[in-house]
Amino acid sequence: MTAIDVRDLRHDGRGLRLEIGAFSVPEGGRVVLFGPNGAGKTTLLRLLAGTLGGGFAVPAAYLPQRPYLFRGRASRNLHLGLDPAGRLRADALAARLGVGGLGDRPARALSGGERQRIALARVLARPEDIVLLDEPLTALDAADRAVVGRVVAEALADRTAVIVTHDRDDAVMLADTMAVMVAGRIRQMGPVRDVLGLPVDDAVAAVLGVSNAHAGRTIGTDGALVEVDLGGATVWGVGDATGDAVALFGAETVTVYSGRQGTAGSARNRWVGTVGVVRELGRLVEIVVDAAFPVVVVLTPGSVDALGIHVGTVVTVAVKATAVRVVSR
Amino acid sequence: MEFLWRVVTDALEALRAFGPAIRDVLGLTLEVSGIATVIGVVIGVPLGVALGAGRFRGRGALTVAVNTGMGMPPVLAGLVLLLFLWNEGPLGAWGLLFTPAAMIAAQALLAIPIAAGVTAGAVRGLAPDAVEQVRALGMGAFGRGVVLGREAWPGVVAAAAAAFGRVVSEVGAVLVVGGNIAGETRVLTTAIVQESRQANFGTALALGVILMVIAVVVNGVLTWLQFREAR
Repeated sequence: MTAIDVRDLRHDGRGLRLEIGAFSVPEGGRVVLFGPNGAGKTTLLRLLAGTLGGGFAVPAAYLPQRPYLFRGRASRNLHLGLDPAGRLRADALAARLGVGGLGDRPARALSGGERQRIALARVLARPEDIVLLDEPLTALDAADRAVVGRVVAEALADRTAVIVTHDRDDAVMLADTMAVMVAGRIRQMGPVRDVLGLPVDDAVAAVLGVSNAHAGRTIGTDGALVEVDLGGATVWGVGDATGDAVALFGAETVTVYSGRQGTAGSARNRWVGTVGVVRELGRLVEIVVDAAFPVVVVLTPGSVDALGIHVGTVVTVAVKATAVRVVSR
Repeated sequence: MEFLWRVVTDALEALRAFGPAIRDVLGLTLEVSGIATVIGVVIGVPLGVALGAGRFRGRGALTVAVNTGMGMPPVLAGLVLLLFLWNEGPLGAWGLLFTPAAMIAAQALLAIPIAAGVTAGAVRGLAPDAVEQVRALGMGAFGRGVVLGREAWPGVVAAAAAAFGRVVSEVGAVLVVGGNIAGETRVLTTAIVQESRQANFGTALALGVILMVIAVVVNGVLTWLQFREAR
């Protein structure tokens, strides 16, 4: 069943022309709208929420980009628009989000992060099966993000969701599908890892800023570092993820050595493989090394010549553990 | 100087005595203007919220009508109502002409656009985020209006104050439809006109002082409400 099915959407906003040929989300699907500022993510979400008119509205619980708390106590805001059962759900969510004890405080006296969590509890408690969230974790500091993100991810289970974010970690944590928007259009849409790992063009790659995204399970820690088993290889990275996780690193952070180099340099992550793809990306060259998993690397043409790289060359690729982020999913 | 001194002492004497005539005029003023203000607020504030935040056909035309109504001369409002209530007019059979009911109706006509206009301005002044959020709460139009009206609380109180100030101080409308009949339809403003014309300056000044006291007390209460954070 398709929960959201938008076709031929045209919208002229201030300085932005939104053109979406087709945007559909299956029931239970969780899509993240990803892209730079001004790409039209919020406009698309508002059209879906119906607060911008246009006739594309779906029945949904909707968290605006800047959630607003009204006069009065935090509890009034938490319960606004909810039936008695919804209020109980909102109370439970607020407690899990760490704002359960703030009910009697005036809403205006809350900090930005507290307001955001009250607003999140309010929207996640709504009865609608479709949830639209505009930057749900943006107002939170790093320490809260993981906790709040986990609660949000749980609350979205079995529901259909469209989430706006410009944070890759949030995308991995909250969604299964990623739609990259650039200048009012959806340039690429697919499973989060595929999009992160294989951008369709350099515009999307520039937006994503990361080319390697590999899913696995965490198997150990060493100080601030986490080791992730990718099935056949492991990768060390930074993060506090446990269990199912995704390792993310940019193609520009990878170093290439010719041949089989077991020990050179300090990088903890080191894999040997053969070059499978070489393609020019403007002034740079992108290569994909087939190690235990495909590693995308960006090099200058000079380096490619110096290393004698072509399809079939055996190389060693290395990346520092501190350049790899490990995000739970 | 001696003349002014005499007027002031006469006025003080009238206030001290506070005779039945003054009491009747004061009571009727509070009744007529109070009820007219309540009607104006009950109709005007929801109308103002709708004009300030709603999206419906005719909103522009209605806004122009309200803004024009805010500046309508009271005597003209009185005249229009007079034509309707006149014996041969469409509502002549109701027999309301020269009764307090007619005066209340005339002042309500003046109060509604003021209450609506001030409220609409206050709601328009709310943060766009508040309007976006209220649309996201899954409420009906009435519920959204209540939330926004409450959010614009100081503006709503200002609307009530402006409406009351407008009607309690006007003389044209109540004079035309009420007739300024002593003991029946005479209010503070029309009584001041009457007493001035008869050169009873002391009484006229006393009535003026009472009018000012009403204005101070009512606005004091409303200002207190305005400063108080809505719970």
